[in-house]
Amino acid sequence: MSEPTDPIAPEPLGGHRPPGRVVDGTFRVFAATGGALVLLILAAILITTTRNAWPAFADQGLSFLTSSTWDVVQGTFGTLAFTYGTLVISLIALLIAVPVSLGVALFVTELVPDRARRAVVFVIDLLAAIPSVVFGLWGILVLAPALTGTYTNVADEVSGIPVLGTLLSGDPISGRSFFTAGLILAIMITPIITSITRETFATVPRAQKDGAFALGATRWEMIRGAVFPHSRSGIVAGVLLGFGRAIGETIAVALVIGSSPQITARLFNSGDALSAVIANQFGESTGTYQAALIGMGVLLFALTLVISMIARGVIHRAERRIGTASA
Amino acid sequence: MIRSRTASRRLAWPALALTIALGVTACGGSSDDGGKTTSTTGGSELAAATINGSGATFPQAFYETAIEAFKAEQSAVTVTYAGGGSGKGQTDLAAGLVDWAGSDSVVKPEDAAKFQTPFLYFPTVAAPITVSYNLSGVKALRLSADTIAGIFGGTITKWDDAAIAADNPKADLPSTAIVVVHRADGSGTTANFTKYLTKAAPTAWTLGTDKVVNWPAGQQAGNGNAGVAQIVKSTNGAIGYVDFSDAEFSGLSYASVKNASGKFVTASLEGASAAVNGATINSDLTYDPLDAEGAAAYPITAPTYLLISTTYTDAAKGAAVKGFVEYILTGGQSLAAEVGFAKLPAELAARALAQLEKVTVG
Amino acid sequence: MSAVTVPAVRPSLKRSSASRRRHAANHLALALMVIAFIVTVIPLGLILGYVVVRGMKVMSWSFLTTDIPIVSRAPGGGMGPAVVGTLLITGAAALLAIPLGVLGGIYLHEYGGGSTRARIIRFLSEVMTGVPSIVMGLFIYTTWVLAFGVSGFAGALALACLMLPVIIRTTEEMLRLVPLDQRQSAYALGGRRAGTIVRVVLPAAAPGIISGVLLAIARAAGETAPLLFTILTVNTVNTDLFNGANTALSVQIFRNAQQVFPGPQERAWGAALALIGIVVIFTVIARAVSAVFSRKHHA
Repeated sequence: MSEPTDPIAPEPLGGHRPPGRVVDGTFRVFAATGGALVLLILAAILITTTRNAWPAFADQGLSFLTSSTWDVVQGTFGTLAFTYGTLVISLIALLIAVPVSLGVALFVTELVPDRARRAVVFVIDLLAAIPSVVFGLWGILVLAPALTGTYTNVADEVSGIPVLGTLLSGDPISGRSFFTAGLILAIMITPIITSITRETFATVPRAQKDGAFALGATRWEMIRGAVFPHSRSGIVAGVLLGFGRAIGETIAVALVIGSSPQITARLFNSGDALSAVIANQFGESTGTYQAALIGMGVLLFALTLVISMIARGVIHRAERRIGTASA
Repeated sequence: MIRSRTASRRLAWPALALTIALGVTACGGSSDDGGKTTSTTGGSELAAATINGSGATFPQAFYETAIEAFKAEQSAVTVTYAGGGSGKGQTDLAAGLVDWAGSDSVVKPEDAAKFQTPFLYFPTVAAPITVSYNLSGVKALRLSADTIAGIFGGTITKWDDAAIAADNPKADLPSTAIVVVHRADGSGTTANFTKYLTKAAPTAWTLGTDKVVNWPAGQQAGNGNAGVAQIVKSTNGAIGYVDFSDAEFSGLSYASVKNASGKFVTASLEGASAAVNGATINSDLTYDPLDAEGAAAYPITAPTYLLISTTYTDAAKGAAVKGFVEYILTGGQSLAAEVGFAKLPAELAARALAQLEKVTVG
Repeated sequence: MSAVTVPAVRPSLKRSSASRRRHAANHLALALMVIAFIVTVIPLGLILGYVVVRGMKVMSWSFLTTDIPIVSRAPGGGMGPAVVGTLLITGAAALLAIPLGVLGGIYLHEYGGGSTRARIIRFLSEVMTGVPSIVMGLFIYTTWVLAFGVSGFAGALALACLMLPVIIRTTEEMLRLVPLDQRQSAYALGGRRAGTIVRVVLPAAAPGIISGVLLAIARAAGETAPLLFTILTVNTVNTDLFNGANTALSVQIFRNAQQVFPGPQERAWGAALALIGIVVIFTVIARAVSAVFSRKHHA
C-alpha cells in the first residue's frame, strides 16, 4: 500500500501562499516532535543507565556476569545466581502457560460459537488487566502459604525418582520459591500468548479448514493439519513475547520468590531474580553496589530486547511468507 | 565537644518546667488515646512544613507513634517516615531526598563522604533484637552465641542438633529442618545482629558484619523487620532476627540468649536498659550496647539513631526538624515503652538535646 | 468390455467408520481445550474472589477518603491519599503521553512512510515497549529525582515513558486500518494533508485510538516498580504533584503485602479492590468504545 502523496497544489494566482500550507507544515512539525521524542527518551535511557552501570562492569569485569558470588561487604558483585533465577522462573512459566494458552486459543477460535466469543475473550482480557502487584499480594498472602503443604506432599511422592525427585524438592521447601514465582508468572503471561495465538489462528484460510473437513478429518485432525502448520510462526512469536514479559516482571516475582539468591535445581527452594533484587536492594545502594544493580537493569533490558527482536524477526518472516502464499 | 556543664545548666530550668508540665498533664489530662502524656516543645508554634524521613524499620513503630503524638501538638507540621531500611535512610539523606533519616548502624567513612551536608547522630531509643522462632511444641528456647552463629551461618541445620540440645537440656527438640530468615534489604538490624555475633562468637561466626551480609544458600529473606516476622510466623521451623516491638506485638516466640556474664536473659525492655546503661558513649553520641557485661543485660540490644543534617537552608523545615527531634528526646521518650522500646538513660537524652544546638537553621 | 471395475469393497461414508481411536483422540483434544479454558478462569476467579471478599471487609466511602494511619501496624484508617495519588499521577502521565504519542503515531504513519528515520523511530518505539518498568524507574531516579527530588511528577514521568511507545504503536495501527479511499476522497475534494488527517482520518481511527489509550492508562495505574524510587510516601493527601512526596495504591499494596500485622494487610486488600476497580472501569470503557464504534461502522 503506497503512502498517499500530497496532491499537487496549483500555483496561486495572486502569488500568496495558501494558509493551508503553513498549517500543514506546523502540524507536520508537531507530529515529528512526538516521534523524535521517542528517539530522545530511549537514547537517554540507554546512555544514562549504561553510564551509571559502567563502574560495576569496569570494576568486576566479566565476572559480573559469570560469577555467582554476590557479596556486598567484600564488594564482589556476581549476578549469575540472579540471571539463573530469572531464566528458571520464566521457563517454568512457559512450560505451564504455553500448552494452556494454546488450548484456550483453540477453544476460543474453534469451539466457542460466534455469539459467545466476545464474552469469552472479555474474560481472558480481564486476566490481563489485573495489575502485577495484585498478583503479588494474592501470591504472598494466599498462594504461597497454601502451596507449602502441597509442595511437601509432592516432594514426598517423587523423592525416589532420579531427575524429577531433585527438581520437585526443596532444601528447605518453601511456599516462596522458584516454582511459586513460575506459577504466578504463568498465570500472568497466559493472556498475552493466548491473544497472539488467537489472532494467528483466526487468519487460517477458511478453505483449508473446510478442505480438511471435506476429507473426513475430525476437528482435532483439522487443527493439526490446517491450523498448526499455518500458525507456527505466530505461536513462536507469542511464546517469545510471553517469555519477554516473564523476564521483565518485577513486583509479583519480588514478593513470592523468597529473595535468597542461589543456583539450585530444587524448584521448591527460595531464589532470587534480576528484577526482584533491583526492587529490593536499590533503595539503599551506593557507589559500585548501585552501579551493579543498574547494570543488572541493563542486563534485563538487553535480554528483553534480544527476545523481542527475535520475535519480530519471526513475525516479519511469517508475514512475508503469507504475503507470497496468498499472492 | 559538647560543653556539657554549661549546656545542662542552660537546660536545667526548661527541663524542670517540662517535668512539672509532664506531671501536671499526666495527672490532669485524660485523653482518648490511652492517657498518653505529651509535653509542649517549649510552647512555640512551629510554622507549616512537611518533613520527610526514611530509614530503619527497627524503630519504625516508635517513630510512627511519636509522629502521631507530635502532630497533635504541632498540627501545622507534617512528618512522614517511609522506612526502607537503614541503608535507604543513609542514602536518601546523603542525596538530599529526605530531611531526616533513621539508622541503626553507624555510617561507614566512605559513605559519609558522599553526604551533601554533614550530619549528626541523635540516639533516640534502644531495643532488644529478638531471635524469634516458630517451632511447635518448644516454648522457652535458650541459645548461646555460638549456637546462634552456627544456625545463621548454616552449619547447624536441624532443630535437634547437639549444640541446641546442649543449650536446652530440658527441652524436647524435634528433628525439623531449620528455616533461617534474614533481611533482604540493607538493614541496620542485620548490621547490629552480625556485629553482636562477631563480638560474642568470634570463631564460630565467619560472615563479617554489615547492613547486607553474604548469607549462605538455602535461607529465606524478608523486607523490613515486619517482613521477616511475617515469614517466621507463617513457617514452622523458622528462626529469624526481629526487633522486639514487632516480635512482641505479632505474637512471636523468642529465645533467651546467653549474655557475656553467662546468664540466659530473655528479651525485655529491662534487659535492654541494663545493656544500655553499661555502654560507653562516644563523642558523636553513638554507643555500643551489644554483648554488654552485667547479669541482667540482654546481649543483643541495639541502639538506633536519627541522622540530622547540620544545616537546613529552609527555615520552616529546619525548625520543624529540630522541633521533632526535641520532642522525641523529651516527651516522646515516655511513649517508647508502650510500643516496645527502651527509652534512653536521662543523661544520654540530655546530651542529645544539647547536641541539637549544633543544628543551624536558615 | 466392461468400462469400470467395481471395487470389491465399497467405502462407507458413514461417520462411525472413522476409527474409534481417531474419535477418542478428537474428544480428548477437545476436552483438553475446555480444561485449558477452565484452568485459565480458575486463578482469575480465585484472585478476584479473594480481592473482593477481603477487600469488601474494609471497603467503604470512608476507606477511600480517610488518611493512611501514621502508625503502620494500626488497624483501620483508609487509603484516601493513595487513591488521590494514583488518579493524579496516572492522570498527569496520561496528559504527558497521549498528545505526544498520538502525534508520534500520526507522524510515523502519515508523514514518515518508509523513510529510514521513520523506520528507526518505529523500531525504537517497539524496543521501548519492552523496557522493564523497573529500568524506567531507575532511569527517572538517576536523571530527575537526584536533581529535583521526589515528587508525584517524577512518578508521572516514569509512567509516561512507559505509556508513550504503546500509544504510538496503537495510534499507528489504528491509522493503518483507515481505508485508503476515505483519504483519497478527501484529497480529491481539495483537502490538504493536515486537514485530511484531522478531519477525516483521525475521526475514523478515533475509537481504536481511544480504546488503546484507555488500556494504556489502565496498565499505568497498576504499575508499581516505576514509583518505588520516585515518590517516597505520605499519610495525608498531597495534591501538589510538583512538590513533596506522594503515594499510590500500587505502592501501598506492595508495602503492606509484606507486613505481619492484620491491620495493614487488610488495607492492602482494600487498596487492591480499589485499584482493580479503577483498572476494570477503564478496561470496560475501552472495550465498550471499540465495540460501539465498530458496530456503528458496520451498520
